[in-house]
Amino acid sequence: MSEQGETGDPITILLVEDDAPTCWRLQDALVKAGYEVRSAGTLGEARSALASGAPRVLLTDLRLPDGHGVELIREMRQRFPDTEIMVISALGDEESVISAITVGATGYLLKDAFPTDIATTVRDLVAGHSPISASIARFIVRRTQGVAQNSAEPPRGPALNTARLTPREIDILWGIAKGFSYAEIASHLGLSRQTVPGHIKNIYRKLEVHTRSEAVFEAVQQGLIKL
Amino acid sequence: MSEIAAKAPAKAPAGPARRRLLAARLVPYLLLQALIVIVTLLGLRLLQPNDPEDFALSDFSVRENGLTRPVALPHFTTSRDSLADPPLYTGAFTFRREDATAGWSVFLPRFSNAVEVAVNGVVVLDSRRDANANRPDRNTPQIASIPASLLREGGNEITVRLFVWGPLKGFLDTVYVGPDAALRPAYETRTLLFVTLPVVFSAWQAILAVILAIMWLMRRREPVYGVLAVAMVLGVVQAFAQAPVPPANASRLSAVLLASAPIESALVVVFGVLFFGWRWPRYGTLLFMPGILVFVVGLIGGPPLPRILFLVLGIPTVGLCLFLMACVTAAAVVRRQDAASFTIGCAVTIVLVCWIQDMLTVLEITSNDRIFVSRLSYSAMLVAIGAGLTWRFARALNQVDSFAGQLVTRVREAEERLKASFAREEERARAAALANERTRLMRDLHDGLGGQLVSIVALSERGHEGATITDAARAALKDLRLVIDSMDDIGGDLMLALGSWRERATAQLRPHDIALDWRVATPQGLPLHSELRPWHVIQIVRILDEAVTNAVKHAQARHVAVTIETRDGSDGPYGMISVADDGRGFASAGNSTAAGAGQTARGLRNMRSRATRCGAALDLSSDASGTRVQLQLPQRFPDSDMAAG
Repeated sequence: MSEQGETGDPITILLVEDDAPTCWRLQDALVKAGYEVRSAGTLGEARSALASGAPRVLLTDLRLPDGHGVELIREMRQRFPDTEIMVISALGDEESVISAITVGATGYLLKDAFPTDIATTVRDLVAGHSPISASIARFIVRRTQGVAQNSAEPPRGPALNTARLTPREIDILWGIAKGFSYAEIASHLGLSRQTVPGHIKNIYRKLEVHTRSEAVFEAVQQGLIKL
Repeated sequence: MSEIAAKAPAKAPAGPARRRLLAARLVPYLLLQALIVIVTLLGLRLLQPNDPEDFALSDFSVRENGLTRPVALPHFTTSRDSLADPPLYTGAFTFRREDATAGWSVFLPRFSNAVEVAVNGVVVLDSRRDANANRPDRNTPQIASIPASLLREGGNEITVRLFVWGPLKGFLDTVYVGPDAALRPAYETRTLLFVTLPVVFSAWQAILAVILAIMWLMRRREPVYGVLAVAMVLGVVQAFAQAPVPPANASRLSAVLLASAPIESALVVVFGVLFFGWRWPRYGTLLFMPGILVFVVGLIGGPPLPRILFLVLGIPTVGLCLFLMACVTAAAVVRRQDAASFTIGCAVTIVLVCWIQDMLTVLEITSNDRIFVSRLSYSAMLVAIGAGLTWRFARALNQVDSFAGQLVTRVREAEERLKASFAREEERARAAALANERTRLMRDLHDGLGGQLVSIVALSERGHEGATITDAARAALKDLRLVIDSMDDIGGDLMLALGSWRERATAQLRPHDIALDWRVATPQGLPLHSELRPWHVIQIVRILDEAVTNAVKHAQARHVAVTIETRDGSDGPYGMISVADDGRGFASAGNSTAAGAGQTARGLRNMRSRATRCGAALDLSSDASGTRVQLQLPQRFPDSDMAAG
């Protein structure tokens, strides 16, 4: 059994994780599912692995011995825009996941997920379906409310620009936050069930801050920086 | 005024010290007043207008009471009332036509009460036609040009008929006859001093009376303005009212005019007393009695009586009032030592000197050509006082402004202090809340994560492999996620917490091939609870976790159904969450193994105690067809832990 991309070649995954047992665990699950996995324990190893070509998928931990995974994600987005990126998180907390989303990641993977779930998540990601958890959706919609209420004190957690989200996308996020399934959300909002994952990927893309100047511009737009 | 009075030193030094202080303050003041007296007398000398003495006619013969005798002007008549037989003064002057380049005039600087002047038997001047000229209290001069046709070359005869109707004796000052150009300047000077100036003063008084009356109307509790306004109004009426000339009927008006001086002076005393912050004594009203008596008698009685009464009562009252006023100001000077009391004291002294001078003139003790100055000085004083009061009123307004400014500053300062203390208080409250949360978090971590990690350690030490340790570690991770998740602000919407729980429960059930049926029966799910705190969320989610864990571990269920709904109670809507499985039920499961039963019993006890702690009611039913846990949420979650301690 081998997972293949559109070209027929096996799908390549670069796995960046410094904790050896976790790395083995994830690698085992992905290799069993038929993916071609290269692993790296540090940012340096990851960069040298990239020299031989771009992987289809990048799975990276955030806290690495020689730097932060966010740097790697940003580099990947600039050099290989077609690569799908997911962050590996122990708890799936918004602090780490949202900071990864703002530099271009489109999902996250829990370190203790069951092997079948790991493979399913990566497959969905390659198919264009970005996973999102209720707590991440909740964080994003609470932030849209915070902006709407124009509260004086800056909200806690990483900076996030929700200004470009459409009301429909916010409705979808509300549904996810309240525990509804994609099918339930689709029927509530009068959508096709298949379009919901695409909406979620759009949401991730809208939350991404592309360049430093854009980040400054959006910070000004949101009133986080006063000129 | 009252605020100034309040500032007056209240402490009275005792005994000799007080006497020394009194002397130290009074003596300089009295010396100053002596100086003022001298200056006033000198001033009055300078005020004396110069008359063209070259053209003076002093030698007259007077026919009075049927007797003819020579007199030298100025001359006082013996009678106070000569309307029936007015004294006739006859004099002579020489006219040289070659000297006369322009017309000649006759100039009478001072007379009382009225004159009729004839030259060579032809009347050229009758002052009775000008009512103002006939008032004895005014020093009105008169001038009349003599028609050239009347003048004869050489000797000419001039006769002056003097009409007297009291209250003073008749008086005729030196008569001047000569070229108009030589006499006119002296006449103009006297007119300016004794006619125009009083009119100007009276106009000022009228204006100030209006201003003071308005002030009094707006500030009724300061009658001092009103008193002064009344005094000024009386003065103005006295100055402008036209007294009829006898023998025309003696109008009631003349009574008012006569009464005005004593009433005015009494009012001024009232003003002084009030101004310097004393209470007006009740017996002080007696001071008004003479004036009122003159007024009443004037209204009822015939002409001579009010005038006599005025002389006997009115004039001394004026003097008494001036003297009282001088005493009041002196006392005020001793007590207050401020600019206002000094100024008013000096002004009163000046008026008093003028009054004494006038009295001496009336009593013919000094020859002063019968020029009365007290009325003039009194008017000047009143105008000065009125101006001072207005100035002080404006200053008081400024003080109010600056007081308002200070008040604004104070309020701002207080506001800032309040804000600071509020911020401190808020900070403290936040710190307390944080400490509380930390305590709860510690307990939650201890309850879940701590126990599970200890269990992992124990299992590892006993050499257990695989599944058991994995389950314990997964449970620990799940609990950690729950604690982190519950710390998030969900804005009182429990549905948001249940959304995350659904994900975790699904992940937990998937390896065991158990399906999670999720049903939200009411559109909004659960009611909003603004009082919902993280520790409530943890307790509720743990109850649900326990129910799901039981279904997995002991009941061998294939489906777990979670139903969320809002029900309408008698006191409003409340939330209801139920977890039902299709397993064997723990009653039968409990009989299978003793260890399992103990664990289940502990699990149930935990669920119940957690429900109690957050005010929820737990209903549990279990039989062979499955187990159903119903959690009825409270309408309001309790602030404090109901099972704490």
